[in-house]
Amino acid sequence: MTLALAIPTLETERLIMRAPSEADLDADTAFFASDAARYVGGPLRRDETWRLVASLLGHWALRGYGYWSVDEKDSGTYVGRIGLWCPEGWPEPEVGWTLMNHATGKGYATEAALTARAYAYDVLGWETAISLIDLDNHASKAVAQRLGAQFEYHYDHPKFGKTEIWRHPAPADLVNGGMEAYA
Amino acid sequence: MIDLCIPTLKTERLILRGPEARDFDNVADFFADKDRSWGFGGPLDRNQAWRWFASMIGHWVLHGYGFWTVETHDGQPEGFVGLWSPEGWPEPELGWVMFAGSEGKGYAREAAQEARLYAYEVLGFETLSSNIFPGNERSIALAERLGAQYERSFENVSHGTELVYRHPGPDQISEGLA
Repeated sequence: MTLALAIPTLETERLIMRAPSEADLDADTAFFASDAARYVGGPLRRDETWRLVASLLGHWALRGYGYWSVDEKDSGTYVGRIGLWCPEGWPEPEVGWTLMNHATGKGYATEAALTARAYAYDVLGWETAISLIDLDNHASKAVAQRLGAQFEYHYDHPKFGKTEIWRHPAPADLVNGGMEAYA
Repeated sequence: MIDLCIPTLKTERLILRGPEARDFDNVADFFADKDRSWGFGGPLDRNQAWRWFASMIGHWVLHGYGFWTVETHDGQPEGFVGLWSPEGWPEPELGWVMFAGSEGKGYAREAAQEARLYAYEVLGFETLSSNIFPGNERSIALAERLGAQYERSFENVSHGTELVYRHPGPDQISEGLA
C-alpha cells in the first residue's frame, strides 16, 4: 500500500520549509553534539540523531503534521527545524523551533514559526497552540514573546525535566488583534 | 509530498503490511514488557515506544525498507518482522519481534523467510545478517532454523555487544538449502 506523507513545502520571505531529510544529518549531528542541544533533548550521538530524524518523518505519518527542515532561500543552507509537534505523552500540540548554531540571531525561528502556526490554524484547524520551553532557554522564550505567546504554567516533563508552557494567541486573537504577520 | 510505498507481502498464514497508527498499542505493550523486549533495546516506556515506532516508520522513508507489521489472514497482529539498518548499524539486518502469545507457531520464521526473500529478490541484497543479544536463545534458535550461522560478535553503537548470525545468501536460498 502507499502511505502518503503529506509534507507540504512552505515559503516565507527568506526561508523554505521542506520535509526532513537524511541530507540534514551532518548538520544535525554537529548541533546535537553542541552545548545548545541541552535545551532540546541533547546531547545526542550521530546514531541517536538519525533516529530522531526518522522519528520526525514518522511523526508526520502518524499525526499528519510535524517538523519542517528549514533552508535559507538564497543560499540553500539548512538552518534548522521548525514545526508542529505532539509525540506520545506531550501535554498538547506545540509549535517548536530549533536553529543550528550558525543561524541564530537573524529572526529565522520567528519567521518560520509564524508560518508553521498559521498552517496549524488555517490548514489543520487548531484552535490553540503551546510551546514547551526549557526553563533556562532564554533565547527560545524571546522567540515565543515575539510570536505573541505568553507564559502559562510550569510543566515537569518526565524525560526533559522542568519546562515552561507558553500559550500562543488563538486564531481569533490573531485575526482581530492585528498581529504583525497577519496585518 | 513523499509517497511511502510499503508493499504488502503474503505467506501461507500471514500478511506483512506497512505499520499503521493502530499498531501503536501493541508496540507499547511489547516494549513495556522487559522479559520480551530486552533483546530488542527495551524496556521502553510508552513515550519512548512511540518515538521508536515513529522512527520505525521514518526508516521506511529514509531507506525504502523496514519493519512490516505481521498479522494473520484474519487481521490478528502477531509481531514485527523486517529489514533494519539505522545509522551506526554495520549492515542491514533481518529482524523479528513477536507479540505476547504469538510464539511457538512458526510465525516469526514464516514471516522472516518472506522478508529475506524480498530483500534478495526485490531489493537485490547480496547478503543478510541478524544481530542478536548474547543469551537470547529463542532468537538464536530461530536464526539457526532459518539457516543462519554464528559469524562474529560486535559492539553495537546503541546496544553493546551483539552476535552476528549470517544468513544463507540469495544463491543458497534459490537452491533450496534454507
